[in-house]
Amino acid sequence: MNDTTNHTTDDSTDHSTDDRTEDARGARPTFGQRRKDRIDQLATAGTVDDEPGVSLIRSAWKRLRRNPIFLIGAAITLAFIVLAIISPWIAPWDVTARPLLDKVRPQSNPVPGPEPGHFLGADDRGRDLFSRLLVGSRQTLIVGVVATLFGLLGGLTLGTIAGAVGGWVDSLVMRIVDVMLSIPSLLLAFTVASLARNPSQWTLVIAIAIIQVPIFARLLRGSMLAQRASDHVLAARSLGVRPTAIVFRHMLPNALGPVIVQATLSLAVAIIDAAALSFLGLGNPDQSQPEWGQMLGRAQPFITEAPHLAFYPAGCIIVVALGFTLMGESLREALDPKTRR
Amino acid sequence: MTQTSESSSDATSDGTDVLVEASDLEVYFPIKSGIIFDRTVGHVRAVDGVDLTIHRGETYGLVGESGCGKSTLGKAILNLEPPTAGSVVFDGTDIASLKGEDLRRERKRFQMVFQDPMSSLDPRQTVENLLLEGMRAHGLDTDKDATRARLRELMSSVGLPVAALSKYPHEFSGGQRQRIGIARALSVGPDLIVADEPVSALDVSIQAQVINLLQDLQDELGLTYLVVAHDLAVVRHISDRIGVMYLGGLVEESDGAELYDVPLHPYTRALMSAVPVPDPQVEDSREQILLTGDLPSPANPPSGCRFHTRCPWKQETLCDTERPQLRVVEVDGASASHRVACHYAEQVASGEIQPHQVEAVSVESGFTGPVDGPDAPPEAYVGV
Amino acid sequence: MTQTQHTNRPRGGSSEPLLSVRDLRVTFQRQGEEEFHAVDGVSFDVRPGQTVGLVGESGCGKSVTSLAIMGLLPGRGNRVSGSAIFDGEDLLTLSPAAMRDRRGSEIAMIFQDPLSSLNPVISIGRQVTEVMERHQGLSRKQATPKAVELLERVGIPDPKARLLNYPHQLSGGMRQRALIAMALACNPRLLIADEPTTALDVTIQAQILALLKELVVDTGTALVMITHDLGVVAGLCDEVNVLYGGKVVERGGRHGLFRDPRHPYTVGLLNSIPRLDAARGEKLSPVPGSVADNLPWTSACAFAPRCSQVVDACTRETPQWEGDQVVGHRCFNPMGGTR
Ligand SMILES: Nc1ncnc2c1ncn2[C@@H]1O[C@H](COP(=O)(O)OP(=O)(O)OP(=O)(O)O)[C@@H](O)[C@H]1O
Ligand SMILES: Nc1ncnc2c1ncn2[C@@H]1O[C@H](COP(=O)(O)OP(=O)(O)OP(=O)(O)O)[C@@H](O)[C@H]1O
Ligand code: SF4
Ligand SMILES: [Mg+2]
Ligand SMILES: [Mg+2]
Repeated sequence: MNDTTNHTTDDSTDHSTDDRTEDARGARPTFGQRRKDRIDQLATAGTVDDEPGVSLIRSAWKRLRRNPIFLIGAAITLAFIVLAIISPWIAPWDVTARPLLDKVRPQSNPVPGPEPGHFLGADDRGRDLFSRLLVGSRQTLIVGVVATLFGLLGGLTLGTIAGAVGGWVDSLVMRIVDVMLSIPSLLLAFTVASLARNPSQWTLVIAIAIIQVPIFARLLRGSMLAQRASDHVLAARSLGVRPTAIVFRHMLPNALGPVIVQATLSLAVAIIDAAALSFLGLGNPDQSQPEWGQMLGRAQPFITEAPHLAFYPAGCIIVVALGFTLMGESLREALDPKTRR
Repeated sequence: MTQTSESSSDATSDGTDVLVEASDLEVYFPIKSGIIFDRTVGHVRAVDGVDLTIHRGETYGLVGESGCGKSTLGKAILNLEPPTAGSVVFDGTDIASLKGEDLRRERKRFQMVFQDPMSSLDPRQTVENLLLEGMRAHGLDTDKDATRARLRELMSSVGLPVAALSKYPHEFSGGQRQRIGIARALSVGPDLIVADEPVSALDVSIQAQVINLLQDLQDELGLTYLVVAHDLAVVRHISDRIGVMYLGGLVEESDGAELYDVPLHPYTRALMSAVPVPDPQVEDSREQILLTGDLPSPANPPSGCRFHTRCPWKQETLCDTERPQLRVVEVDGASASHRVACHYAEQVASGEIQPHQVEAVSVESGFTGPVDGPDAPPEAYVGV
Repeated sequence: MTQTQHTNRPRGGSSEPLLSVRDLRVTFQRQGEEEFHAVDGVSFDVRPGQTVGLVGESGCGKSVTSLAIMGLLPGRGNRVSGSAIFDGEDLLTLSPAAMRDRRGSEIAMIFQDPLSSLNPVISIGRQVTEVMERHQGLSRKQATPKAVELLERVGIPDPKARLLNYPHQLSGGMRQRALIAMALACNPRLLIADEPTTALDVTIQAQILALLKELVVDTGTALVMITHDLGVVAGLCDEVNVLYGGKVVERGGRHGLFRDPRHPYTVGLLNSIPRLDAARGEKLSPVPGSVADNLPWTSACAFAPRCSQVVDACTRETPQWEGDQVVGHRCFNPMGGTR
């Protein structure tokens, strides 16, 4: 209400007359000059501070650093990776050793329970469950990461070719991709894995990589096409930039954002898929290299007497998958131009 | 202007030598439909037979409503949108027939400034990289010191501090981004700049800054501009000559001042009377020619004069049967360079025929006919 | 200068205000960021039959002002204070349900982008009749002929056939007309139009503006016109409020304001628009800098860094409003001053 009243009139005329008299007395050059300089400087284009520029990635990182969801996801993921690396050294027992073999009674007590020195107990062969869980993280990590990397590589190649070349190449690649996408992914992985004569961890990796390829290819091709129609690519064309440079300098880097987010989310899926395939007996049968999915599969006959045998590896899978998912989702949010200020 | 006439060999001193000559330019976009096999079921005639001459050192302004094909014409002249037919002779070479590497190398002579300064700058490149890119592509960055100096010069010519070189586009305001876009166009030393709505995305107070900058740069570097805009006031302010477009074709072309004083085409008159003037007295006193209806679909343009469905001066004969060509008319105040595509321009000017009511004809949005179901617009194909 | 004095007062200045906005403030607070005063103490009156313009550049708070009055701001992350008295009731303190009843029946709003304010999967006719069913308790049967009438009145050719069309089947101008028809369905007493013609071509804009003008005269509806185009204001508005950085910096009747602008920002805006009727080659004199250079209103005039009239006080204290609810400005060193 205050500002709609009339009472300040005197006040402000005071100021302006002050100034004018000062001007007249000869303060004019300095004051006028100062003002003029500033306006000249502004007249060009407004102010730009002298600090070095902040790239999109860095400003996204700045936002991410303060996002609790990302931090939780990152913490879980980091813990998982560190564990996977150092597990052989910190595991209290060798994974093939059977310290509790004498406690296993196939009829009355197939799965020995916790006891001092074996706080999760042992599995049906009398091997220390805790040690196997720890070491199991390794295989899980390798399968998940390597499969996603291979999938990403394949998808990037196909997507780049389709998106950059266009025309019939695009149509051909995309029809193949569509066919692959139309088969349920686990079924496809199952088929691929069962083709292998001797299932191993590499069968798993390849099977999972193959189901990831069409997802990445389609995603990348879509965002490449969007980039291709964008103004900044048109601007590069009109500048006379070479087509290959346009693809690799302008289209690909700008199209990668969603693919990177997808890769993080895919890691979670890859880990779960690997577990599923191992559970179905298509993974590495080598018991000296435990893997969470494989452990889960082996827990099946004892699910009524010893549910914890299934519970622990399943819990590990869920927590790790959750870590990657949280990270991926917050990454997506941070890279989304709409949330950028 | 003087600078260019010196540098060009066959220049006549009054600056009338031709830099760009487009003849019979056509750009048709196929409308595809079909589930498995794409069939072409028609064409969007975005540009439909345009002849256009731009002289060295002048500013040619192109106005018209949204969708009339202004941008497409601008892009076709630069061969960013390959013309379906016609030729574009730029300083003796037909750019419309150039392809691949030959075209790429020619590109340093004609550049474009875009409407949306944000989306036309790659968000992942620093300003320095954006400016260097064109120079690199044309081998203009051989000497390191000279390149540095050139970058500084570019920045100062568009009024940005050198500190801006290390920044990214998203760190600037809209007006500053447009300056970067202009600097990028200048980086390769072009003769012609096609500016597609260079100020329409900017705030009113910033628009004037950019308009002034464009004018200063023209005086300094002897540039030739083709300015495409829907705002007649802006176009009139910066252009020497103005072409008015309607539905893919030029309907009137004239000297800027003359167009305002003696508008000959009914559409130009209507357009002129529709532009709001920031002066209540003018607004209260002037006569408005209100058009009815909307721009017809360029996929299915009206027969005869494209404007006849909305023209308040339409006559029973000729208008809906024969497409008028651009011609010089004998009207007081109209010079020999003033051309108009209306069968009855003389009678309209003399007041012999008077405007009448026009029944609005409804126009479908989208490209094709059927109105009874949702109809996805055709996919746009753009090639690199 | 008595004449100036006289015409400076917009018409309709005598009757009681229909809407009276006082000291409206909207503050946005985003997580991890500073508070942002999008609207910073805006006051204005709208009288029946009057057209009041809110002009200013992008981001000056025009839309937020109108959304706050309509109670349409997103629920979280903002704080609204002040008052907006409509017909004796403060709209800002009404319950959401009571506000919903007012919206559409007594106060209606038209937005810039007609496509996104229409429901894409419901036919135009249905959308118009729905408003009448909701607010006037008509049945669909009763509402349909009224809808046809409305569409006809806003200048949609062949309105019967158009009832069955979906928004995407209409052109931009037709969509805006349909939106106006919806807004008019219940004979609102106040119409708020937020840049209703910005997305349209000039020839279509002229049609829509002529339509709005006619409606105001015919129905006596009060109109709040939000725009960044001073040309539109010059042709349409009785009273003009120029906004800068969330505050009204100048107000006046349209003739007075355009003839004798006082605030340097208003002057700067007028000087930076290319005019159709000006000679070529005349240099424009733009306002230097951009809104990014603004100072905070709390301790200065926000416009000071861009101002040609700046005096020492401008960077030291907040300029107060000088004038009343009809004419006035907010500047230490105003221009002109012939009145
Ligand atoms: N790549 C494309 N594919 C299909 N149709 C197109 C394409 N580009 C433009 N068109 C169509 O061609 C016509 C002319 O478009 P253009 O962009 O040149 O219009 P404009 O005059 O620049 O309009 P605006 O003022 O909206 O930018 C329009 O009907 C448009 O829909
Ligand atoms: N929901 C929101 N959250 C945070 N800030 C907002 C929100 N809505 C608007 N703002 C900010 O408030 C300011 C005023 O916005 P407003 O939309 O009112 O501007 P405007 O004057 O309507 O501009 P324009 O001409 O661009 O429509 C802007 O700086 C905007 O960024
Ligand atoms: S040719 Fe006929 S329809 Fe076309 S502009 Fe002239 S009078 Fe109007
Ligand atoms: Mg365009
Ligand atoms: Mg707004």
